[in-house]
Amino acid sequence: MLVISGAMNGAIYGLVALGFVLVYKASAVLNFAQGYMLLLGAYLFWFSKVTLGLPLVAALLLSVGAGFLVGILIERLTLRRLIGQPLISMITVTIFLSLVLEGLVSMIWGTYPLQHVTVFHDSTIRLGRLVLTTQSLLAFGLALSVAGALIAFFRFTRMGLAMRGVAEGHQIVQSMGISVRRILNVSWGLAGIAASIGGILMGGTLGFQLGLSQIGLLAIPAAFIGGLESPEGAVLGGLLIGLSESIVSGYVGNAAGVPAAFVILIATMLFRPYGFFGLERIERV
Amino acid sequence: MLTLSNVEVKYAGVILVLRGVSLQVPEGKIVSLLGSNGAGKTTTLKAISGLLRTELGEVTAGAIEYQGRRIDGLDPEQIAKMGIIQVMEGRKVLKHLTVEENLRLGGYIRPNGEVRRDLERVYGYFPRLRNRRNAVSGYLSGGEQQMMLIGRAMMARPRLMLLDEPSMGLAPLIVREIYEIVRRLSAEERTTILLVEQNAKAALATSELAYVLENGRVVLDGPAAALAENEDIREFYLGLGKLGEKKSYRAVKTYKRRKRWL
Repeated sequence: MLVISGAMNGAIYGLVALGFVLVYKASAVLNFAQGYMLLLGAYLFWFSKVTLGLPLVAALLLSVGAGFLVGILIERLTLRRLIGQPLISMITVTIFLSLVLEGLVSMIWGTYPLQHVTVFHDSTIRLGRLVLTTQSLLAFGLALSVAGALIAFFRFTRMGLAMRGVAEGHQIVQSMGISVRRILNVSWGLAGIAASIGGILMGGTLGFQLGLSQIGLLAIPAAFIGGLESPEGAVLGGLLIGLSESIVSGYVGNAAGVPAAFVILIATMLFRPYGFFGLERIERV
Repeated sequence: MLTLSNVEVKYAGVILVLRGVSLQVPEGKIVSLLGSNGAGKTTTLKAISGLLRTELGEVTAGAIEYQGRRIDGLDPEQIAKMGIIQVMEGRKVLKHLTVEENLRLGGYIRPNGEVRRDLERVYGYFPRLRNRRNAVSGYLSGGEQQMMLIGRAMMARPRLMLLDEPSMGLAPLIVREIYEIVRRLSAEERTTILLVEQNAKAALATSELAYVLENGRVVLDGPAAALAENEDIREFYLGLGKLGEKKSYRAVKTYKRRKRWL
């Protein structure tokens, strides 16, 4: 039972971690605001469903589309000027960006948890001794399929290849006629989509509240464990974190779940500094 | 085809690197740009291809015209789409990608259906690359990497190729191979080539016209054969003494002969 719910959470962590990795791969930026993009996406979904009263599919499309735009907006307004600047500047900007996003969300929707809304139908399925909600099953399935689609995009399409090229060096690909600006836009937009979907799915389970940004906090170690350059690694890392958080919470106690994730992160960094699937730094002898 | 008129380039608004460079690259020819380190050769190429922007450089005076159209100040992507492709110095491969992936990206601006055919063409020129097509490019030898870079530029089917120090750090035999390819490119694909080189001997042997840059100015230009005979070139770039013999330390004067450039 713990394993199942852990796996389901894990899929969502994996999706959000994938967004993190996408941004890192394309622009070498550690987007610490990923969790807050998630928050914004989730709240926008709530807004469309509850305040605007839109049907499910329309609300989903609206909030996901908005997530895409938010991603692009962030890239344009802040990161564009930071191309070529030291890494520490980029990290600082994303950290403060998260504070801005959190403030924005609290200002518009208040700091109390919002009225609970389920994303999918509330029903349960029994499989022997296990009780599952359709909510979680569909969330799991959706998270994995979106993650899978993004991974396939990266690997098999021309634009995916261009994104990997941009990660190697902006000036190099400029000389080949690739518009770095457009590629960065798309990467951040896709990260926004991943964050929004993750947020919406989690919101259905945990409720739409400010604590949702904590998921971002857990998705980041997932990305590191899987390897910052590997989308597949991000998903697997997410599953690992989800499972361990769930199992540790169940056996040791609720508060131990999150720290456990970080303990695993530290352990992984000690033995595999580039993550399990990360690209090793190429050094020619 | 390409004309630079009195081009001035500054980095960060204060560092003046090119002080009024004028040169012409006629269509279909191989032209070399010679000069010692720091003369401004790479800056000239980057001004043409538009890559100056990422380095805080800009053309502050003068004009660069390509086929009658002004291109200074345009984005590098637009310039690449017009048919000018630069092979940068320093063997900048996309190191975590394989050879074939590098080449495919080189053909990014070409229509999707042509990629297959372009790849075959490049492998035809560089059979060695075909054997290494799935190797991670960061692990290739220097010569193979340089060949891959030229192949990557070829994938975009340029009208004008800017080659920056293709022979840097390579064994003499490989250098000879690379210059063979440059000659073939000019003859078979009719690509116009602007070549920047430290290796004056190889460059003058391959090109038809040459310019010599020093401290951001053109100090000498003319047909390559004439330059190879020029006294100043022979003394300062080819290391040959007055009578065409290698200088020995015994004969070194205690004062430095001033370059006349006449």
